[in-house]
Amino acid sequence: MDWQSYQRKKRRYTVLLLAGLTGITVLSINTTGFSMARAGAGLGEILRFILVDMLPPDWGSISRLLQPTLDTLYMSVVAMGTSALVSFILAFFAAGATTPHPLLQVIARAFATLLRTIPDMVWVLLIVPAYGLGVMAGTIALFIAGVGLLTRAFAEALDEIDMGQVEALKAAGSSWLQIMGRAVMPQFWPELLSWSLFNLDTNVRSSAIIGMVGGGGLGFAIQAGIKLFQFEEVTMAILMTVVLFVGIEFLTTVLRRNII
Amino acid sequence: MSPILTVQGLKKVYNDGTTALQGVDFTVQPGEFLAIIGPSGAGKSTLMRCINRLVEPSAGKVHFNGADVLKANQRQLRLLRREMGMIFQSFNLIPRVTVLDNVLNGRLGYMNSVKGAIGLFPQQEIEAAMRILARVGLSDQAFKRASELSGGQQQRVGIARALAQNPKLILADEPIASLDPVTSESIMNYIYRICREDGITCLINLHQVEFAKQYATRIIGIRAGHIVFDGAAEQLTPAIIQQIYH
Repeated sequence: MDWQSYQRKKRRYTVLLLAGLTGITVLSINTTGFSMARAGAGLGEILRFILVDMLPPDWGSISRLLQPTLDTLYMSVVAMGTSALVSFILAFFAAGATTPHPLLQVIARAFATLLRTIPDMVWVLLIVPAYGLGVMAGTIALFIAGVGLLTRAFAEALDEIDMGQVEALKAAGSSWLQIMGRAVMPQFWPELLSWSLFNLDTNVRSSAIIGMVGGGGLGFAIQAGIKLFQFEEVTMAILMTVVLFVGIEFLTTVLRRNII
Repeated sequence: MSPILTVQGLKKVYNDGTTALQGVDFTVQPGEFLAIIGPSGAGKSTLMRCINRLVEPSAGKVHFNGADVLKANQRQLRLLRREMGMIFQSFNLIPRVTVLDNVLNGRLGYMNSVKGAIGLFPQQEIEAAMRILARVGLSDQAFKRASELSGGQQQRVGIARALAQNPKLILADEPIASLDPVTSESIMNYIYRICREDGITCLINLHQVEFAKQYATRIIGIRAGHIVFDGAAEQLTPAIIQQIYH
């Protein structure tokens, strides 16, 4: 093919792509009834809502919001600890380097994938009927989602282990347990800690959403405030959520940097 | 004197169908410093790993110190392995832990499984490890992470770890292939001197024919999984070297 026909082909391809995208967009606008004018018209109301209804934050509600804030923190920490523990065991089955049997590996991986693909918000909805609204349901949802994430992450860390180190200890006459303790764990635990801290981060983040659908903590307080039109208190709850996010993220970043 | 190592009809065929070793026979007397030379892929590394069963041989016999290595069960194999120290091309140290801990890993075969796994070494083992580190000139590095050391120093830790096993036999698999010429010379000196001083038999895989001729009491040449030369360094003529390396 010469340069000109290549150019022509490329141009035709670009035109087709643009036409396709435009077509899909127009079709979608028609179906959803979206219009820029209407979107713009809402802006004023959004501003009014934020500036008039939501501000200033209700500083007096801090004392009432302290308990939900702590609840969110506890949920996140407990869910991280328990899911790290369970994932640690599951990961040994899910990693090719350590699994006792290939079939067990497939089962462990499929299980983790299943837990991971269902969003934690959906887990809360499934769990609330059994445990009722509140911190317990939220913690369990975070735990399930955490197992999904950490099993995968831990298994991948185990698969990346330098087998030369394992071989060296094997050659010295070490037992399986000794190889795990002295060759696998030194390589694995920084990953383990780093991923668990990351999980703590994501837990604090998702617990706000989870709380809104019945998982307790700050999210629940935000949702309750909206329902009671206590918008200034809602602003305060959002502020505390942000402070908690930033605080935890700062803490985990410092910890991670010092481990690795 | 009865041989410390006998290898008979050793054969290794990997799962993918490659034949790495075929009909390998040789006997090693205590105190020998035996160099194994040959081109890359000739089977030197496989041969060494068949002796301590890091690789399972397909057929043949390996006798070490009177024991049938290939018939040993897992527990017996651990006891045999702890008497064979191994030194690796890429050192295979645990980089995140201290030099001392790496040397102590050589003692795991002598330890209770749980105590070893959590690293509860008795005081006298730690003192013994420190004495070994002094022998390889690394006393002042004992509490550094292994990853902080230079390549030559790391290989000296590798030697110390093998030595900590109190081995009757040392298997050195290309111990100087990742090092510069000057460091290589120094590492060869350490391995040779220590094996002589402690009366340890040594099998060493080497790329460099000059080093083999300089140190070895005997040389085995391997090509395509077969032994094509077995004799003293003086018998290794340029013609034979040509034959080993094509």
